Order: sequence, then C-alpha cells, then structure tokens
Amino acid sequence: MTNTLIIEKLTPILREVFYDDDIVAVPQMTASQVNGWDSLGHVRLLVEIERAFDVRFDATEISTLKSVGDLADLIERKREAAPQGVGAS
Amino acid sequence: MPLNSIGFLFVFLPLCAVLFWHLPRPARVSWAPGFLLAASVCFYAVNSLASLLILLPSVILDYGIARLILRAHPARQGLRHSLLIAGVALNILFLGYFKFGAVVLATVNQTLGTSFNAAPAIVPLGISFLVLQKIAFLADVRSGQVKDLSFLEYLVFAFFFPRAIAGPIIHYQEIAPQIRRPVERDPREHLMVGICLICIGVFKKSFVADSLDKYVSPVFSTPSSSELFDLYPTLITSWISLLCYAMQLYFDFSGYSDMAIGTARLFGIRLPMNFNSPFKATSIVEYWSRWHITLTRFLTAYTYTPVVLFLTRRRMKKGAPVLQGKKSKASAILTIVAVPTFITMILSGLWHGVGWQFICWGLLHGFYLTVNQAWKMLRPRFWPDKASYERVMKPVGLVVTFFAVILALVFFRAPSVTSALSIYAGLVGANGVFPETVQLYHAAGVDTPWIVMNSKTLIGAVWWLVVLLPAVMLLPNSLALLSRYQPVLEGELWEGGLVASRLAAIVVAVLGVLGVMTLNQGTGFLYGQF
Repeated sequence: MTNTLIIEKLTPILREVFYDDDIVAVPQMTASQVNGWDSLGHVRLLVEIERAFDVRFDATEISTLKSVGDLADLIERKREAAPQGVGAS
Repeated sequence: MPLNSIGFLFVFLPLCAVLFWHLPRPARVSWAPGFLLAASVCFYAVNSLASLLILLPSVILDYGIARLILRAHPARQGLRHSLLIAGVALNILFLGYFKFGAVVLATVNQTLGTSFNAAPAIVPLGISFLVLQKIAFLADVRSGQVKDLSFLEYLVFAFFFPRAIAGPIIHYQEIAPQIRRPVERDPREHLMVGICLICIGVFKKSFVADSLDKYVSPVFSTPSSSELFDLYPTLITSWISLLCYAMQLYFDFSGYSDMAIGTARLFGIRLPMNFNSPFKATSIVEYWSRWHITLTRFLTAYTYTPVVLFLTRRRMKKGAPVLQGKKSKASAILTIVAVPTFITMILSGLWHGVGWQFICWGLLHGFYLTVNQAWKMLRPRFWPDKASYERVMKPVGLVVTFFAVILALVFFRAPSVTSALSIYAGLVGANGVFPETVQLYHAAGVDTPWIVMNSKTLIGAVWWLVVLLPAVMLLPNSLALLSRYQPVLEGELWEGGLVASRLAAIVVAVLGVLGVMTLNQGTGFLYGQF
C-alpha cells in the first residue's frame, strides 16, 4: 500500500475518532489543526489505526509523530516489515 | 550567580557570547561543543561546584548504559529493555534520595527511635529537571531515536548552562545537531532574539513576579499548626493573594523560560517552547498544552501514553469495551481515562515537591483532566451542534479553566495541607470578608502573619491585577511576538509577529532596564526549588 493510499484510508478513521466529517487527511496536517486531537485522542487514533492496518506501535513511536505524513510513513514502514497484514485493503 | 543577577547578565554572559562568536573561524566547528561545555562547567563552578560533582557520575553512568543499549544487537530486545529499566530505576532512586531522603530518614528515625544520619547535605542544582532529561535520553536511545552518540555533545546536553536551573527539559536529538553544525557567519539575528528574550524575561521576573511577592508570602505563610487553624485570612485578602500568586508564578517561570531560551539563542541554539499563554486556555487539557510544555510532553510521552496504551490493549484482549467516542462506557472511561490521568498527575505532584499538598494538587488536576476528557468524548451525545457549543462554551471554558487552575494553586503554594485548607476557608469567607476583620484578632493580642495585608496594601495588589490579568489573557506572548525569527525549536505561534524596528528595540530596552533596576528585589526562581 502506497503512502497516498494510506493517507486516503486515514481520512475516515480521523473523521470517526474526532467526530468531524470535514476532516480530509493531508501529509502536512498536524494535531493542533484538528479539534480534539490531544494526548488521549492521539492514542485512540493510533489504536484505531492498529486495527485498520493490522500493525502494532510502540508507545515511544506514537509520541514522536508530528504530522499525518509522519504517521503514514510509520504505517508504511510497519507494513513493509510485516507484509502479511490482513486488515488492509 | 543565577540568571537574574548582575554578575550573570553583565559579566558572565556577555563574556561567553563575545568569545563564542569571535573564536577563530576555521576552528569554530570543533570548538563550539567544547566551548559550551567549558562555559557550562564555569557556570556550575560559580553557582554550585558540589552540584556538578554529584551530578557528573550519574550523567556518565547513563552514558555508559546508553552505549550498552546501542551496542546490544537489535534482536536482543530483552537486554535493551532491561538496560533501559535499570537506567530509569537508578535515575529515580538518585532523584528520590535527594528529594525525599531527608523526609524518609526522619520518619524512619522517629518510628524506630534510630539516629541514622545519611540525609543529603544539598539538593544539586536543577536535579529534578536533569533527571527527567536523562530518563528521556535513555528511552530515546532504546527506541532508536538517538542513533549516534558523542560524549562531548552528551555532556553539553546534560550540563548546558542556560537550562541548568529549571529547564526547559530537552531531548538529546533536539540539541546535539545544533551543537555539532557549523556556526553561522552572521550572529546578528541570534543575538537580537536572545537579547530581546532576556530583556523580556528579566522584566517579567524582577519587575513583575518579585514585586508581587509581598502580596503572596504573608497570606501563604499561614501557620499550619492546628491551634491556629481557625485564623483564616479573610475573603478579599485570600482572593487577591491567590490571584497575585497565579500571576507571580506565571511571570516568574515564564520569565525564567524566556531568559533560558534567550541565553541559549545567544549561542545560536534554539530550545523548545515552555510556555504559550496558558491563561488563554479554554479547557484544562489545553492549559496543560500551554503551561510548562516540556514537562507535559515528558509526562505524556513516558507515562501517560504508555499507560493508556497498555490499559486499552489489556481491555481489548479481555474483550472489554474500550473508548468509543460518545458511545464510551463508564467502565472504559474509568479505566482508560481516569487511571492514567491520576497516575500521571500524582507523579507530577511528587516531582514538584515533598509533602501531601503536592499530591493533593496532582489529585485535583487528575480530577479536572478526567472530567474534561470524559466530557470531550461524551459531549456530542448531549450537545451535538459543535458550532453552537463552541460559541457558548469557549468563553465559559476560559473562566472555568482559570479558576480551576488557581484553586489548585492553593495546594501548590501552601506549606502544608492544613495551611492550604485554611486558605480555602478564607476563600469562602469563613473568617469574614474585609481585611480589617482580622485586625480584631490583632487588637485582641493575636499576631497573625497576614495582619500586614490591610486595605491600603491590597489596593496596590489590585492595581497589579487590573493590568496583569487582561495582559495574560489578551496580549501575544514573548515568543509569539518574535515568531518571525523562530525563537523556539517548533510549535505554532502567532502568524504575525513583530518586525525588528527602532520602536520595538526601544520598548524591549525599556523593559530590560526596568527589569535590571529592580534586580535587587530578586529572589531565586520559584521553579528553581523543584
């Protein structure tokens, strides 16, 4: 799955977690631009992403992410490391 | 020689800055880390050589552990993890000994009738801040965020003098690349930003924060013995004093942070943001993203997030419900929201100081944050229209957050829980409303510390509050004003920002002069005691 596809798939997850149907995920998007994306929202988002993409994050990896682009890169790296994932389409 | 002293501002700092920028150009690249380390060692030597000598072995030990983690084969995750746990445990024991050693030993001696005498003679300068920085360093090495390690750069990271007294708490990977990169040829922008921040910082600390102390200390020196428990300060005195303390603490610590960030910038180094107008926050969650930012990010990354993640996964494994936005169940909120929040804030309280009052402060903030987070999730169920919610609740949130924060500050400032409770009693008017009421006690021959706070004194305090409260809620902060010149590593500040001009230079110079003129009122930085 390419980075672009990952970002596309992040849009509905972001909308669901932060109850905002206007959210459109773009690489430059940061937490401060999304209402509700605080420390707890961040973990909730990452848990949803783990489910959707069949990946698993470390707590320290989660804390270093600065933008949706970083997030997509991390998901891509994780999926490359474990290509047998079944949760993604 | 703290940051707010004539010796530092007019001798040590200018000397270091001039030498730094005038080092022979071909040698600068290799000179910069060595120079900054030498300057930092001088700073410790003048302030507290004993602190340096106590801290150095633990700093070197962490370097050794970090090297072992880096050397361990990536496949040996268990070994790397064990090394990290050992390093973190040693750091916690090290800090615990110096912060709690005396209290624990006194309790042991009292309980067992012994007379052990192993309490620490001094608390090393900035130890609480340095220990958190070292724990973050080990965790960052373990997680692979720190891959290259240089002993010299590591020592600068640990002892960098602008942040030695009270932070900001920095990461190795934030500062090492800045130390090792070649020094620019033109230092003018660095010097301009550095001097501006130091002037604003010294103004905040000396002119504002120190001037407010006379309205704060008398009331918060309320005796903690139970026999005087009934002698609360009166309602007006308590509220004015508490508001003055909120302003004193903010201007003291944000003034210190401005000076620390400005001092580092004189050497071309950007530190992370530590304050971003916290009293503009419209929720308690937002408040913690604006107040002591580097502590919040430490606690979030290394305590809160791992606990939330662990508890969420554990519930998922058991098939128990996890957080599902507005459909979240009470059990999920209690486990995944309340437990990590309370753990984090109690740890924060313990880090700030010894005494039950700091735990009470942590518990209060744990409660505030839990309610705030739960409401943020459940709000769409009760008030679905986001636009109308924000329109109505933003101003309400600003006021509620402000009062929640300052009410918790009673525990933060009071010398004991009993003393804090007497202030709370004063805040609800348990001992009358007007300051003169207390004078009746005085007439009856009872001497109380807050007797000095008569109406005339309080009018001076009211004038300060009339100016300062709107300022902290409405005006752009020092970093936002300088946002065109990237005063900090990252963080979203004001999009505008001032352009360098003669008028701006004059205003900043006036602030600096006022700050320096009032330096003799100076006390230590309030956060220096932590």
